[in-house]
Amino acid sequence: MFDKAGKRFGNVEAVKDFSLAIQDEEILGLLGPNGAGKTTLMLMMGTVYRPTSGSIKVDGFDAVDQPNEVRKLIGIAFQDPRVDGILNAFDVLNWHLKMTTSLGRDKREQRIEEVLKALDLWEARGKRTWLMSGGMKKKVEDAKVLAQRPKVAVFDEPTAFLDVPSRLLVWDMIRKLREEGSTVIVATNMMDEAERLSRTIAIMNRAMLVGTGTSEQLKGTVKGGEVLELKTSSGPKLSPELLTQFKEVHDFRQTEDKILVYLNYGRLLLPKIVEILSGQGFKIESVHLKEVTLEDVFLLYTGQRFE
Amino acid sequence: MSSSSTLVNASSKATPSAGPSLMAQMALRDISVLFRTPWIIISRSLAFIIQLFVFAALISQLVNVPGLDFFQYYAVGSVVGTVGSIAFIIGYDIFEEAEEGVLDYLLTLPVSRRQFIIGRALGGAVRAMVYATPMFVIVAVLERFTNPLSLAVAFFDLFLLAFGITGLSITMAVSVRSANRFDVVLALTELAIARASTALYPIAYMPVYVAALAPFSPVSFAADSARAALVGSSLDLLSLAGLVAFVVIFLGLGAAFYFRKLEGGVYA
Repeated sequence: MFDKAGKRFGNVEAVKDFSLAIQDEEILGLLGPNGAGKTTLMLMMGTVYRPTSGSIKVDGFDAVDQPNEVRKLIGIAFQDPRVDGILNAFDVLNWHLKMTTSLGRDKREQRIEEVLKALDLWEARGKRTWLMSGGMKKKVEDAKVLAQRPKVAVFDEPTAFLDVPSRLLVWDMIRKLREEGSTVIVATNMMDEAERLSRTIAIMNRAMLVGTGTSEQLKGTVKGGEVLELKTSSGPKLSPELLTQFKEVHDFRQTEDKILVYLNYGRLLLPKIVEILSGQGFKIESVHLKEVTLEDVFLLYTGQRFE
Repeated sequence: MSSSSTLVNASSKATPSAGPSLMAQMALRDISVLFRTPWIIISRSLAFIIQLFVFAALISQLVNVPGLDFFQYYAVGSVVGTVGSIAFIIGYDIFEEAEEGVLDYLLTLPVSRRQFIIGRALGGAVRAMVYATPMFVIVAVLERFTNPLSLAVAFFDLFLLAFGITGLSITMAVSVRSANRFDVVLALTELAIARASTALYPIAYMPVYVAALAPFSPVSFAADSARAALVGSSLDLLSLAGLVAFVVIFLGLGAAFYFRKLEGGVYA
């Protein structure tokens, strides 16, 4: 739980008044452009940075007053792999599990094998990480936390540098982690990643939390963001009240051969609107609904596009 | 925004091992790096042997100090100097870790900051000892140092020196921000401590400006104490006390600086 948490480096405010409660066993997608403050937020949660204002609690433990307790609950996979180059993938994971779990040797090795095989890294387990490609190193970084299975798993850009098959593998493992009881935070600037993995999405911009909710809730906040396009071959002049009776409809336009309706929750309203217009004598040839995307949401909240 | 719920449930997740075990793991991490590059130990040991059997042997023929076996003096001092040099490396490691972000990772691990610091210092000291042990054995065999107590005291001297210099190195690593400045400061300090010492040359034959500093060098404390134990089978209590003071001061300072730095946030 973040309660007005903030971090200032000199004159720079990296995180400001961040308040958010994350539910147990959920995957939170933390969206934001580069430099929004996501990594700083996670490092505060991981007790690396001490908040300069507010508080952060993990499972009731305060990150400043009880940092050791917090560290026992958390595992962080960093954006840039933080592995000893001289160690191979197996040894990186083995040491990480020695430090973060009380697993005996057999169970530890069994878990490492499971994760490395699932991420298609088993054959390369003996390769020193400094000799690995960026993608492989990134998977080793993710594998640390996937093998650790912490109560709170934090992934910073978990699929950066990864090809499509590897992204799918990592996403699958993250979902399994949640199913096994972990609460997961995924910081990303890839909208599809946030949307596919998370139930709740939080948007950060310029050090602040600017929006939070489910994907649908956030999309619903883009007023009139959806466009329902109805191609008509014939029909009378449209009477405004036919559409404005729905509070979700924000505007409409009628041209010679089409009607454009600006609205929210278009999927729900579409059958009703088609029925009403057909009843008024409009011959509808085709219907196209342009739905709100997370990018639209992001534009609304931040005024900038993802990089 | 809501701000009132616990973050996670207490499930059957594995919990970390106890503190001392984690501290040992931190130390072992530093030590294991050395064993992953055994060629470094081998090459340094060979360099030491060459230094001993060529340079020391040659110099001892040229130098005639009444009542002093210079070859023996140089041999013991070389081991002490080597331990000092290797112990400095932990500072470079820590600085590099901070630059590359590995320190962020290490700081998220479930080990208290105190255990973390002691673990690092211990790892650095043991690493220096592992590194220097083959050289110590070579000198002991060569000079027929067989008294177990003398060997134990000398070994203890070396360990104290390694531990203290590790503390000094950590203090500097967390006090200097610029990489270039850090390299220069550490190299100069190493040079001053090792060269302005009695490790390789008797104080009576040093230039005045070096002789004025040498008695206060921790390398001198360790070298004098080790020689007293190995050659004279006696305890040089003054040197030993100086060495202990050096360890307490710099390990304490290193820990305090590091602790303060880490608790405030690495880059705060």
